[in-house]
Amino acid sequence: MTWLAWRQFRTQAIVGAACLAVLFGALLFTWWQVRGLAVSTGYTGCTGNDCQNAADSFLDEIEQSLAGRVQLAGVGASFGLPALVGVFWGAPMVARELETGTYRIAWSQTVSRRRWLLVKLSVGGLAAVLVAGALSLALTSWAQPIDDAHATLAHANLITPLVFSTRGVVPIGYATLAFAIGVTAGLMLRKTLAATAVTLALVVATQIGAVELRPLIADPVHRVTALTAERANMVARMNDVVTRVEGWPSETDSWELSNTIVTTPGGPEYRGPTDQEKCTPDCREWLGAQGLLQEERYVPARRFWLVQWRELGVLLTLTAALSLISLWWIRRRPA
Amino acid sequence: MTSVLRSENLTKRYGRRTALSGCTLDVPVGQVVGLVGPNGAGKSTLLQLACGLLEPTAGMIEVLGERPASGSARVGFVAQDAPVYAGLTVAEHLRLGARLNPSWDSAIAEQRIAQAGLDPSQKAGKLSGGQRANLALTVAVAKRPELLLLDEPVAALDPLARRLFLQALMELVAEQEMTVIMSSHLVSDLQRICDHLIVLVGSQVRLAGDVDDLLASHHRLIGPRRESVDVASYGWTLIEDRHTAAQSTLVVRSTAPIDDPSWQADQLDLEDILLAYLSESAPAAAPERVLEAQR
Repeated sequence: MTWLAWRQFRTQAIVGAACLAVLFGALLFTWWQVRGLAVSTGYTGCTGNDCQNAADSFLDEIEQSLAGRVQLAGVGASFGLPALVGVFWGAPMVARELETGTYRIAWSQTVSRRRWLLVKLSVGGLAAVLVAGALSLALTSWAQPIDDAHATLAHANLITPLVFSTRGVVPIGYATLAFAIGVTAGLMLRKTLAATAVTLALVVATQIGAVELRPLIADPVHRVTALTAERANMVARMNDVVTRVEGWPSETDSWELSNTIVTTPGGPEYRGPTDQEKCTPDCREWLGAQGLLQEERYVPARRFWLVQWRELGVLLTLTAALSLISLWWIRRRPA
Repeated sequence: MTSVLRSENLTKRYGRRTALSGCTLDVPVGQVVGLVGPNGAGKSTLLQLACGLLEPTAGMIEVLGERPASGSARVGFVAQDAPVYAGLTVAEHLRLGARLNPSWDSAIAEQRIAQAGLDPSQKAGKLSGGQRANLALTVAVAKRPELLLLDEPVAALDPLARRLFLQALMELVAEQEMTVIMSSHLVSDLQRICDHLIVLVGSQVRLAGDVDDLLASHHRLIGPRRESVDVASYGWTLIEDRHTAAQSTLVVRSTAPIDDPSWQADQLDLEDILLAYLSESAPAAAPERVLEAQR
């Protein structure tokens, strides 16, 4: 059965590998450019306070170079990978057999429907793990100097939604889940086109939903501090009336979930009124004296791996659940 | 004699549509069984129930003494239109069979492919209908099943390919101890090779029996026109009746020989018998009936 599953999957696997090879080629081509720029801007081997400036100019240079575009492509590929895996590998895997009637030749051999599906799920799932793992690993090692520079500048980098799901181990979870979604949709809808559309919608919904739900597993820091004049960051005015007050984040290298100025913890956002006379030209001194509180919720960068493993756990659990549903379905609901 | 297939009140519904209803059968082992009926009569449904691709809505079906389940080594099945993997070559289909069936007989497979003149390196998607049917049959046969189910195996073939295919099938049955149940909507395909016949019409079994018995027990009676014939009093079952101004022609089923001198009794061939059952006016599963001659 493994031979047949692989034989049927071979073409798609080769196409996938070819696409991945193109991206790897681009990463390899710019590999030395990234390292070269780190040296030429003085970031590599910097010491002390020089590092901040060097890191800054290094990131500027990257942004304007080919490597910057390759990095964007890499991030785009990472976000697109689950949808591609679901649509091109998952959805047709069972749907096409049901649609063209070839399941009848497969199920007439000495192999149970469950084993047939289990082997198909294993072959495709393993391929999804390999592709997603390879892409994440390649991107992570390629971007090592860039990530280091962001860390030097205490930028919120790896922990932010835009980078988080392209690094570490979660891409593997997204790819396998998308594959399982595709197979399950194909099995239930029995039409490749319908399964493709449903898979695409569900995979994108999963990716959006994951960002919304990530704080639940990320154990965010909840912090209430007194708003001093130094912490007051931005004061938005309209016609000389203060409309919005913001405070500096406590940890800049964090994924900020909320950051509001309140009068009591958990209370509504502070929106004035302010003393217009004392607020001109600068309101910060006055605000600092009002006994206001800054309430923050954020996920600090140091939680990166904790959140990575937890999220991978959730995604793999969902993958396993969908696989079990498929295996149950194929036995209970034959053609 | 043991049964290869036994069903009681077997019923399959797709939503509100009934594909097979109240089907009770007992098919003896070791024969070539023909399953005849017009399109949509439930032949495919019955065969797919027998190989476990479908689950019955109601009733019981037993194949080789077990509840049918797909993936059985004992039952081979070639579905309608002989599906094959278009992207796989002929040789890869044989490899598929060898990998997926512990009982695979590669000698038979190779021999049949050679006999059928199939090029092992050709993609199955490029085969003609007859070649595809042959490939699908080869995969099903080389598994060495005890029961081989064929759903309209020759429907897509031209008359010559049809004859060759049936000939090959006959040879296989002679070589291997195998029961074959094959469906067709064409009577002529079956009469040459079948020992046992099942007639399905409108999702119900209309007739089932050994071909020899069917031939011996059906008669065409021709006599002067009658107003009404009480066939039951003769111990006959009326299958079909036609009347012209001068004479009445009946097709009746009777186990006893016809000795009424007022009728001229003729033997019927299988095709005549089946057509009589398949025609609209024929009764369902043998109720006794009194004939009212039409004016």
